[in-house]
Amino acid sequence: MKILVAVKQVAALDEDFEFRDDELDVDEDFLLYDLNEWDDFSLEEAMRIKEASEGEVEVVVVSVGPDRVDESLRKCLAKGADRAIRVWDDAMEGSDSITVGRILAAVAKKEAPDMIFAGVQSSDQANASTGISTAAHLDWPHAAVVAGLEYSPGASKAVVRRELEGGTLQEVEVATPSVLTIQLGINKPRYASLRGIKQAAAKPIEEMSLGDIGLTPADVGADVALSRVRRMYVPPKGRAAMIEGTVAEQAAKIIAIIKEYKGE
Amino acid sequence: MSDPREITRILFENFQPQAIYLFYAFGYAAIAVFLYGVYTQIRKYRRGQPDPSWGGLWSRFVDMAKTMLTHRTLKRRDRAAGSAHGMIFFGFVLLFIGTSTITLEYDILKPLTGVTFWYGNFYLWFSLVLDLAGLGVVAGLIYMMYRRKWLKLPKLDYTRPDRQPGDPDFDRSGYRREDWAFLWSFILIGITGFILEAARLVWLSDRPTVWDYRMWSPVGATLAHAMQGLGLTPEGASAMRGALWWFHGLLALTFIACIPYTKIKHIFTASASLMFRDPLAGRRLPKVPEEQESAGFKQITDLTWKQLLHLDACTKCGRCHEACPANAVGAPLSPRDVILSLREFANKALNAKELPEAAELDIHGKGVGQVFMETLWSCRTCLACVEICPVAVEHVPIIVQMRRKLVEDGDMEPILQKTLQNIHKSGNSFGESKRKRAAWTKELPFEIKDARKEPVDMVWFVGDYASFDPRNQKVSQAFARMLHNAGMDFGLLFEGEMNAGNDVRRVGEEGLYELLASSNIGTLQSCDFKTIVTTDPHSYNTIRNEYPDFGGQFEIQHYTSVVKQMIEDGRLKLKKKLDYRVTFHDPCHLGRYNKGFDAPREVLKMLGCELVEMGRNRDNSFCCGAGGGRIWIPDPVGVEKPSQNRMKEAGAIEGLQVFVVSCPKDLTMFEDALKTSGFEGKFVVRELIELIDECIEYEVWEEAGSEAA
Ligand code: SF4
Ligand code: SF4
Repeated sequence: MKILVAVKQVAALDEDFEFRDDELDVDEDFLLYDLNEWDDFSLEEAMRIKEASEGEVEVVVVSVGPDRVDESLRKCLAKGADRAIRVWDDAMEGSDSITVGRILAAVAKKEAPDMIFAGVQSSDQANASTGISTAAHLDWPHAAVVAGLEYSPGASKAVVRRELEGGTLQEVEVATPSVLTIQLGINKPRYASLRGIKQAAAKPIEEMSLGDIGLTPADVGADVALSRVRRMYVPPKGRAAMIEGTVAEQAAKIIAIIKEYKGE
Repeated sequence: MSDPREITRILFENFQPQAIYLFYAFGYAAIAVFLYGVYTQIRKYRRGQPDPSWGGLWSRFVDMAKTMLTHRTLKRRDRAAGSAHGMIFFGFVLLFIGTSTITLEYDILKPLTGVTFWYGNFYLWFSLVLDLAGLGVVAGLIYMMYRRKWLKLPKLDYTRPDRQPGDPDFDRSGYRREDWAFLWSFILIGITGFILEAARLVWLSDRPTVWDYRMWSPVGATLAHAMQGLGLTPEGASAMRGALWWFHGLLALTFIACIPYTKIKHIFTASASLMFRDPLAGRRLPKVPEEQESAGFKQITDLTWKQLLHLDACTKCGRCHEACPANAVGAPLSPRDVILSLREFANKALNAKELPEAAELDIHGKGVGQVFMETLWSCRTCLACVEICPVAVEHVPIIVQMRRKLVEDGDMEPILQKTLQNIHKSGNSFGESKRKRAAWTKELPFEIKDARKEPVDMVWFVGDYASFDPRNQKVSQAFARMLHNAGMDFGLLFEGEMNAGNDVRRVGEEGLYELLASSNIGTLQSCDFKTIVTTDPHSYNTIRNEYPDFGGQFEIQHYTSVVKQMIEDGRLKLKKKLDYRVTFHDPCHLGRYNKGFDAPREVLKMLGCELVEMGRNRDNSFCCGAGGGRIWIPDPVGVEKPSQNRMKEAGAIEGLQVFVVSCPKDLTMFEDALKTSGFEGKFVVRELIELIDECIEYEVWEEAGSEAA
């Protein structure tokens, strides 16, 4: 029994950041990297299944990204993941989330897990599509925004509660193997103590290249991306003002503002 | 005068040889039971881990002897009990020596060499001394009984704040019974001893070598006269002596046999505990050895032998219980109960011949003898318990070691987890960007040197609260002006500074502490400076006492002593005097932790303030509640906080104007408590730096049109 947990190292903005000269992204100097918040929850969910199970359950974390991602994978190992895999090739630079899903699916084919967990979305890009696209590439069933899960290893079905709008939940049965994207709050993620992280440094992180997962540079990267970034910028601050006073006064003020805009 | 050899102690006179044999048999049995008890206790201690407290044994012994002879630690904050204990202690020691000398002569010297000395003047003086010693013991015991029965001291109430009524061992009544059994048997031994002595005198009242010297045993003689007055005849006395002799003797032997099994063992355990006391206990926490798998204490056998000994040394005097700020506000923690719980646990688990299985050694949990997670998290590591314990029990290292285990298992408040993650990510507990650490300096009309780029005399280690908290930033700015004005050559580490780690370590996140400490040590070592100064007592403590364990040997001063020096040297000129009526709150990490009691008080005096002390001052200062990482965990709502408790104490001072603190966390805690406890408008909370600042006029800058002052 194996659960594959797809994780991402996300970037957060430091104070007073600046954009790169090409205006396509934030200057690397101003980015702080950490494990995506959602991934804490999906890893925890996998760990819970592992710990509650009588039989052997292997939790494998996988991430697509350069060397720096090792740090986040170590954190996952410190929390108890059995193995960590990092897939990278310089050709992958600029891949969109659909392509990342394709890479993850290729890893999944190699690893043959019984379940794949991913976060609902990443906090930096917020596409919320990587997990689902992995399922699509594998042609597996999937459920998104999972806020509750009943699943015992080896079962042919899982019962999931999906979070919908307005606080409603939808209970769904999914056949396994499947891909679930896990929502915040489904559990209480554990703390990875620094000693644990340090000790995890001794555990190996398996590296996979394009060849290892049966893809070629032509399958990945910016060229096959279905979208591309044109510009990244801080929008000008909008102007909003609360208009106070009686209804008549408010109406008068609004008329004045409209007139001003029309240039009267 | 009769032959001095005739004037001697009547020992086994008129006893049948069988009776004497019987008595010896009892004696040997008692000693055997005693020795077996000692053996099992030592076996218990040896089941603990090694402890580095060996070494310097002679000076340790001298310290212990001094403490015991002066009874210094016992008299603190309870003179009467200390003195009564002194009477029992010294009386007991003298009686013990007396009895040993009899044994020495009767059982060893005389049979082997024929030498005797127990007669004549030596005997007479000894009987006088022993008589008075016995009187001291009885008087001391009577006071102890009175104190237990009628004084109703809260610290002698064993009811546990961490358990509910109905829980097993909620009121620890077993201990109460033991106390009384101890007092009664001890006092009975004393009293029967005197009656026995009196009976002997009456019995031998026609023997001049006895009767003529009776006044050398004044208590016995007085009793003898009284008994004669009541009509006791020598024959009656003889019969009485026979019965009493056995009663007294067997009781005394039982007492001896019981020592290792009952609270009486504190005679040995408390002395040993004092001997192995660590003067830096709690100030410098133990490192986790690199090769050790998991951090902290999970099982009772994770404690060191010394800590197991401490558990047995506790005499339940309640001083720590009374001093503990967590206990004072009704948190489920009493340092005494932590010690007693673990003691009971150790006695159950480690006294048997075979060690039980690992699962039964787990000291965390809800069972009898286990310590609750909430209990451990209630501690503010203020050190009030360690500081006052008369027998040198070191609670805080045990509590922190147990917390290390909780941290490793993630058993903590989510908000604390978040803070630790923030510190890991950004190096500060505010979760602010590293770049913003020195943002508070921007408003200053001068540049502060970057100690990483140029040599300075003094590196100012600012600390998180003084760097990021808006209220404390004002204080930091004032201190910067002060140093600048006094022409000091100082610099900062800017974004190179990380949280010093003092509180992270006390939370129990040792890995993160190691990271912070080594990072700061590395940064400091790459700078060229003579000393470090800080306004933060927490940073001060860890840099001073704990960084050396990680290879960082630095000279560091708290700002109070630096400022005092600057004023004395005339570098800092006070342009006016303040006539405030103030009180001063000793921050735990400056006062109790590092004995920095005087400098702030002297500065206050130089400023012209009238200092009125609160009841709990200096080493008995009452923690603001922020220590041990508790500043990152909100206190429960609806119950009093330690800081509010403190405000009430200050509020009782007539005409108080300023509550002076010298710690950033104190400023935050007490300004908040001032509002919530209803003293707003009555007096204000100020950092000492702000008062000094009031006395300095920064004319130069004002002329330059700056708003700095
Ligand atoms: S350190 Fe302070 S809060 Fe902790 S147990 Fe001791 S007295 Fe109580
Ligand atoms: S630990 Fe020390 S201070 Fe506390 S009750 Fe025991 S002997 Fe007294």
